[in-house]
Amino acid sequence: MTITKSQLSLSRETRKKMVPYLLIAPVVIYYSMFWLFPVINAVSESFKNVDGVWTFSNYIHIFKDPVFYTALSNTAFLVIFSVTIEFLLAFGLALLINKKFKGSSIFLFLAMIPMALPAVAVGAMWSSGLATRGWLNSFLMTFGFIDDASKFLFLAGGKMSTLWLIIIIDAWTVIPFVMIILLAGLQGIGEDVREAGAIFGGTKFQILRKITIPMLKPTITTAMILRIISAIQIWLIIVMLFGFNRLPVLLEQVVLNYDQLGAEYFERIGLALSVLVAIIVSAAAILYLKVSGSFEKEEKENG
Amino acid sequence: MATLELVDLAKRFSKKVWGVKKMDLEVNEKEFIVLLGPSGCGKTTTMRMIAGLEEVTRGTILLDGNDITDIPSRNRGISMVFQNYAIWPHMSVYENIAFSLKLKKMPAAEIKQRVQETADMVKIGELLKRLPGQLSGGQQQRVALARALAVRPRLFLMDEPLSNLDAKLRVIMRTELKAIHQKTEATSIFVTHDQSEAMSMADRIVIMKDGVIVQIGTPDDVYFRSANMFVAGFIGTPPSNFFTVKCIYNNDKIALEHSQFTLDLDPKGFEELKEYNGKEIVIGARPEDLLVVPDSEAVFTEEILVVEPQGSHQVVALNLSETIVKMIVSAEAKVKPGDNIGLNFNRKRLHFFNKETEDRIHLKNEVE
Amino acid sequence: MANVLKRQIRRSAKKTSLYIILVGIACIIIFPVFFLFSFSFMSDYETYSEWPKPLVPSFKAHFMIDKDVEGYHLFIFNKSEDDFMPFGPLVFTNNEKDVDNLRKFIKLQSNCKISSQQIVEYLEVVDSDSRVEFTIRKDLLANYILFFQVVNGAPKAVLNSLMVAGATILISLTIGGMGGYAFARYFFKGKNILKLSVLFVRMFPAVSLAIPMVIILAKMGLYDQPLGLSLVYSVGQISMSIWITASVFMSIPVSLEEAAMIFGTTKVGAFWHITLPLALPGLAACAMYSFIGSWNEVIAAVVLTQFNPTFPVIVYKALVGSQGQINLITAGSVAQAVPAIIFTLIIRKYIIQMWGGVKV
Repeated sequence: MTITKSQLSLSRETRKKMVPYLLIAPVVIYYSMFWLFPVINAVSESFKNVDGVWTFSNYIHIFKDPVFYTALSNTAFLVIFSVTIEFLLAFGLALLINKKFKGSSIFLFLAMIPMALPAVAVGAMWSSGLATRGWLNSFLMTFGFIDDASKFLFLAGGKMSTLWLIIIIDAWTVIPFVMIILLAGLQGIGEDVREAGAIFGGTKFQILRKITIPMLKPTITTAMILRIISAIQIWLIIVMLFGFNRLPVLLEQVVLNYDQLGAEYFERIGLALSVLVAIIVSAAAILYLKVSGSFEKEEKENG
Repeated sequence: MATLELVDLAKRFSKKVWGVKKMDLEVNEKEFIVLLGPSGCGKTTTMRMIAGLEEVTRGTILLDGNDITDIPSRNRGISMVFQNYAIWPHMSVYENIAFSLKLKKMPAAEIKQRVQETADMVKIGELLKRLPGQLSGGQQQRVALARALAVRPRLFLMDEPLSNLDAKLRVIMRTELKAIHQKTEATSIFVTHDQSEAMSMADRIVIMKDGVIVQIGTPDDVYFRSANMFVAGFIGTPPSNFFTVKCIYNNDKIALEHSQFTLDLDPKGFEELKEYNGKEIVIGARPEDLLVVPDSEAVFTEEILVVEPQGSHQVVALNLSETIVKMIVSAEAKVKPGDNIGLNFNRKRLHFFNKETEDRIHLKNEVE
Repeated sequence: MANVLKRQIRRSAKKTSLYIILVGIACIIIFPVFFLFSFSFMSDYETYSEWPKPLVPSFKAHFMIDKDVEGYHLFIFNKSEDDFMPFGPLVFTNNEKDVDNLRKFIKLQSNCKISSQQIVEYLEVVDSDSRVEFTIRKDLLANYILFFQVVNGAPKAVLNSLMVAGATILISLTIGGMGGYAFARYFFKGKNILKLSVLFVRMFPAVSLAIPMVIILAKMGLYDQPLGLSLVYSVGQISMSIWITASVFMSIPVSLEEAAMIFGTTKVGAFWHITLPLALPGLAACAMYSFIGSWNEVIAAVVLTQFNPTFPVIVYKALVGSQGQINLITAGSVAQAVPAIIFTLIIRKYIIQMWGGVKV
């Protein structure tokens, strides 16, 4: 068979079209091998018992276990409050330092440190700080805020104070990260659109509400989704400060079942639990996208 | 419509850097003022201070006689067209134009009418439902303009509004802006670095350099009676040609001696040059004031370096002792590179500058 | 002129309050980190016997040796008590064994090095002159050295961590870099899904992913191997690398490649000679980002390692299992944190750029 010239050029064109697909092929293959495959594996194994028989028993076990509901409500509490507080504070901070001032680069430099700290170092930092004779009480005592009798028992509090402690620690760790995302977004919005708002009659608050926030919305959505995803998965800091089972949260239960109880039966419970966590994370992310998206539409219709 | 007065206005950015050093200006009612100058001259800073976007370091801004120096932008009764338009991408064209009217709590029906009216005036009446992202640059420019006009401001500020448009559209918008100004009669301040834009639109031009005013005057003033060499070199395309000459003043003759030629003047009408006798001064000659003449009448002859046809005329460039001299000749003139041509000066139109101060040497009977 | 003054006052008031807020926030950020570092330099004595604990570790310790009928007594200066307190064995003699024990005790408890001979000399002074006070400079790095000595397999764990990080960088930068280049230069179907991969790979908890990976890696013979761990880390790092490298390649104009092609090289040559050298700083930043991610990760590593733990795992186990004094654990944490902090600060410009570019 003879190959005509037009056939040749056609094949060159097809070849050219294939270039991007060839470039992303490794990514796709990698994801399917080391992400999709284990995910499918985890899901299917979670529906099998120790003998490899298909069953719902792992999930039934979880839903019958009261600790699951405690973990669920604790996680929900942590997510709702920590994400809200972190966002508000980070946004305020981002607005504050989105001005030119002397030392802004030094400030950013400092703000990056909590982002860089390894989770384990954060754990060591707070467990050395919050211990009854830790640095926090030492600090307060050295400067005379408290005396030996009135030192705080940070780690021995009730459930509520423990939850809030975790929220505060999480905020310390995460606010710089959220702030940097928002700051990058703010810097993408030109100064002039806000100035135009001022010229055309807006007060500072009106400019923020009607111009800055709507224009920042894609960034806000990104930051919120990233935060929701990782806030649902909080556990390490809790375990490092309080050990297992003191303040049950979803992922801590996964690790507890899988890694600590040491029986294949529990491993499968852990697997089923982790599938549930993944479902909850995805649902929360999609829900957030839906809610923030529908708000936008509503406003359009009113306007 | 309003009057604006800037008294001893100054803006310091840091210890050593002054944006505006000192600015005194009175703008009359309905006047169209253009702030003109090279980048960094302080023209935009001045406008931003008038707009209330930049805090004033020293001085006072009076609008209709009221001190507005410390009043927030939103309460100044001004509006502004930004260089990059600064139209809000998340609002439709309608919402952009209606923004300030809504904030003023104007009744909805009235807003609708006002927006339509203004949009029609700048020819975007059909685009009200679109988002800015769907518009061309020129259309976005018109949205910015409509938004500024809809407010019916006492003072209308424009910060290089045409600089992002392509050359053709820029010339069209120039005409439209001037027509709109004639119709609305809003006192306007227009910032630009483009001297031809300034010349074609301004009632008066304020030329700035290094944070101070160099000259205030009508387009004719700044063109024919440039206050100094900077203005003479800045205004006009091609810019003025400068010749440093030695002035020999005799009662019956003035000889201006250049290294390549000597220009003789009749002292009548140039008496002011007497005090420069024996000193060096600078002659400024606009390209159209260099005349092609037969060699016998020429002050000097030189070989043509380049000819740039412009359609309506041609620009001829010569190389006179390492300085490029540009002149304008008619479209019909037969000139080509390599030709030797004889040149003379239109003596009545010459500018003279003090070589040290670079300031104009004023003559009693200057061209009006 | 009153206006000018008023304006100046208002401006400086505004500025001052801004700076007060910023300094306050900076303090909140710095204090905990400062104390983490501070603890890591403290001796056991400072950590456990002084209350309130010193906020700044001391650089030296003061000792006193006294003598009574029973024998010699050692005292150490306790800052919180502002007095010398009994330290170590209540009574000791000047025989060789006691002196050597004393030397070891001083070293272990107060991180101060003193030779047996020096102790004997002091004891002789005490014999002739009743009591002796002396000051020894503290060995500030003692906790760090001790951490690597006492915590099982710490040096090996650092090596493992470095190997994991190296492999992760290699995998994520090649695969992610190719994806990033495709992202920056071409249109293709599924671009949006690829863009969102940075989010959806995070939705399945890392620990949950690690569990099935145990079996998969075991089948591949890579369980408890640095390479196996890096395969898991690369899932998250590839999606980040796509993001970073895409923005790096986007910032290099296509026209530069086109120019190279006009002047006689191929598409591949243009990439190799023009784009890659220009992208190098960005790619280095991307590598550092992968390093930080892999170096700091602990959760998957806990599940996926057994006899070959990474550095974070042993610090984590020391902390959770309370296998060691807190000052030792903080020393381990700081040793782990320092490279991550340094790299983060080096690439902070890119981090801001990158997260600024991520839009859902």
